Amino acid sequence: MVARVQTWWTILKICLEERLVYRGDFALGTLMRFLPIVTQIFLWTAVFASAAGNTIEGYTSETIIAYYLLTMLGRAFSSMPGLASGIAKQVREGEIKKFLIQPIDLLGYLLLARIAHKLVYYTVAAGPFALVFYLCGDYFPPFPGMQVFTAFIISLLLGFALGFFLEASMGLVAFWFLEVTSLLFVYMLFNFFCSGHMFPLDFLPEPYFTLVNFLPLKYLAYYPAAIYLGKVPPEELWQGLLIETGWVVFFIILSRYLMNAGYNRYSGFGG
Amino acid sequence: MVQVPTRSCYPITLLGRSLDGAAPEVCRTTLYFPLIMNAIEIRGLEKSYRVYQKQEGLLASLTGLFQREYRDVNAVKGIDLDVQKGEFVAFLGPNGAGKTTTLKLLSGVISPSGGRATVLGHVPWERENSYRRKFALVMGQKNQLWWDLPAQESFKLHQQIYRIDSQKFNNTRDELVDLLDVRNLLGQPVRELSLGERMKMELTAALLHSPEVLFLDEPTIGLDVIAQHNIQKFLKHYQQVRGITILLTSHYMKDIAALCKRVVMIADGEIMYDGSLEGIIDQFSGHKVLTLQFAEERMPSDLSHYGEVLEIVEPKAKLRVERGEIAGVLSSVLASHSVADVSVEDPPLEDVIADLFKQSTNKQAETKAAAAQATIGK
Amino acid sequence: MHPSYLGVFLTFARNSLIRDMTFRTNFLIEVVSSMSWMIMNLGFYTLVYQFTPDIEGWGKYEFFVFIATTMFVNSLVQAFFMPNAQELSELVRTGGLDFALLKPIDTQFLVSLRRVNWSSLGNFFVALVLLVYALPRIENFQLFWWQILLYPFYVLMGVLILYSIMITLAATSIWLGRNQSLYDFWFYITNFSRYPMEIYRGSYGEPLRNAFTFVIPILVVINVPAKILAKPFNSQGGGMAADWRFLALFTLFATAASLIFSRWIFKKALGSYRSASS
Repeated sequence: MVARVQTWWTILKICLEERLVYRGDFALGTLMRFLPIVTQIFLWTAVFASAAGNTIEGYTSETIIAYYLLTMLGRAFSSMPGLASGIAKQVREGEIKKFLIQPIDLLGYLLLARIAHKLVYYTVAAGPFALVFYLCGDYFPPFPGMQVFTAFIISLLLGFALGFFLEASMGLVAFWFLEVTSLLFVYMLFNFFCSGHMFPLDFLPEPYFTLVNFLPLKYLAYYPAAIYLGKVPPEELWQGLLIETGWVVFFIILSRYLMNAGYNRYSGFGG
Repeated sequence: MVQVPTRSCYPITLLGRSLDGAAPEVCRTTLYFPLIMNAIEIRGLEKSYRVYQKQEGLLASLTGLFQREYRDVNAVKGIDLDVQKGEFVAFLGPNGAGKTTTLKLLSGVISPSGGRATVLGHVPWERENSYRRKFALVMGQKNQLWWDLPAQESFKLHQQIYRIDSQKFNNTRDELVDLLDVRNLLGQPVRELSLGERMKMELTAALLHSPEVLFLDEPTIGLDVIAQHNIQKFLKHYQQVRGITILLTSHYMKDIAALCKRVVMIADGEIMYDGSLEGIIDQFSGHKVLTLQFAEERMPSDLSHYGEVLEIVEPKAKLRVERGEIAGVLSSVLASHSVADVSVEDPPLEDVIADLFKQSTNKQAETKAAAAQATIGK
Repeated sequence: MHPSYLGVFLTFARNSLIRDMTFRTNFLIEVVSSMSWMIMNLGFYTLVYQFTPDIEGWGKYEFFVFIATTMFVNSLVQAFFMPNAQELSELVRTGGLDFALLKPIDTQFLVSLRRVNWSSLGNFFVALVLLVYALPRIENFQLFWWQILLYPFYVLMGVLILYSIMITLAATSIWLGRNQSLYDFWFYITNFSRYPMEIYRGSYGEPLRNAFTFVIPILVVINVPAKILAKPFNSQGGGMAADWRFLALFTLFATAASLIFSRWIFKKALGSYRSASS
């Protein structure tokens, strides 16, 4: 057990170091991440300027900006750039053999690598994030209270887990379709649209809103923001988080299943 | 403007003229008709570059985000070399000796930090198209063919890039694929080929434009013995027929023994030997291996005073004896023991070279190498 | 003797098509997915136009023409340049760039056009359909011959400007060693170009608009051709408005300048690759 923890700890450290070597990526990446917000502010200012009335579906020209900022925070947790495509690439180029040979669990390894990735990202991104949220403080409603805030934090962490296992499952499909990139692109689109990253899901007319509400994607961006902005009634708060947990468990099981089935298929083919 | 170089101006007397007042002009004209042309001329070639010094440990990596340390690597430290047209020369040396760097310099992929070189009269790193049409580079560890496409599609691309006339292109391609016996694989995606087949395709691609100079970097790396042998056979044949100049780096002594009369040994960015493969033994090995087969029931218990005992398998013994002492040792052995058979051999080439490489990593070896070079110079 | 650049390009295009056709299902998924991306985009703006009649003077169908223009430009860039720019950093990492440097052909040409992503051209046709749908629905719409000539021309200028920015970004990856953020950076910076430039207003908007017009000229990429086709006249009527005529002229200059600048950066980056590697 101790040896195992040590192994995982070593892997985590190596991944951290590996991430840190490429500082150029980081500096650029963090800076750029805030640019779309700027255009969103201008776009919505223009829309609200000519719209009839002060609110659209319960959002004012201020809270909609707060919404976009909060979804960015949510995405900082739930988005997994390169995870699925990385797995697909490893399968395609045969690097996946490594995990069949060495006593390392693929998903465990990737999770640690991702945690390392995120930790490093947060240390670098915390400054810019804090700055932008401070500058945009006026767009935010008053602090929603400890209970909502706790739920908000939990939803962010669950968002990370959901994002990871969902994307890992997508990547593992590569065992069956070698060129899985397009599938990933379709997923990315749906994700962008249905997670609430593009616009608040409340804007959707029925029956689309109800439909999207049933998908797990909304937990990746919309849900944390909706919690913070008080869009989720308090009585539904914990129930919603419970459903999210259910989705996380579902994707953990699915990714495990896909990994093992994929291994069998791979070794059956003789690599 | 005519430059008068000091080296490649061949003796005026060859033209049958005496050295009178017209000499300088004669010298100039001979410049354009050199009698023996060097395909490759290298003078004092140097290459150093900076690498990011990765720090051990997590904390150091973090500080590496903001502040980086660099280390200068001197990959090539002043090489002088002449290669004549039609020569097949091997670069031999341990990993990181500067072989690949030298090949990359000569192909113009990278620019040197000092010195000069010409290949077929061109300065490689000026990258004139006329030069790039005249040579090819093949690297055993990298492939330039399109991975997902059949090799013939990549060949067609080469035809366009090098602007090979289609008649000539078809002839060259057919000749090459027949020589290499890969005609039936032309339509298969490259990713489905074996390593050896892929290398044959790489070679074909590289030779489609009939280069005059060919640089081969570890062309047989990772191949099985048969594939290695096929590639060797092909290279030997092609070089003899076409008379092209080839520079080859390889780890396999067999490649070199089969192909190259001339070996240039590089270690630590410097040339430490230039001559025939066999010459390496004479140059660097001061001892011979003496094998004795005894006719006596019991082998002599103490052989160590004759020389270093390498191996004893009764009734045979192998001894390492200094070259100068071999005659004395032999006669005293024969005088005091009854011996059934005797052989005196040079030590295996691999061992000599392995020893040399080991030495070159030691500091002391540097002086030795310098001394060795001095003797070559004489 | 110069290599036949057209011949090489056609071979690249042909080889890419062969490759795409070996992964046919994938090709189809790619076409469908990039189309669905634009349809989602359209959906988003349909949604927005439910709440407002116009955005800074752009009515719904005028804005659809704007979106169609975005699709034209993007599909061309994605088909011809995007896969290559993305591959450049990979080429640097694996040393494949060495081979490109050996060839008797311009290196920038070789690495910029190696692959053609045929599936991205699917959007080109969606854009055509959208254009045909939206144009007649614009109020008081009239089409003049000079619009038909200028529109494709300025779409091409836009493509060239975006190419220059892209190859500049890709070239910097040679310096940085590896650059995964390239695509992100690209996305974020071109994100500004996907909106009518009139929305950048106010004390922050004005400088932003000027910066993205005159420093990094991405705002003219879509705005100029879209405006030429959808809103050629200002509200008073009578010919192209003066500021737009200036902007159209400026776009020509910006295209030339970006191309020259990107070439210069590319050469510099290659120089650093040559002196920094072993």
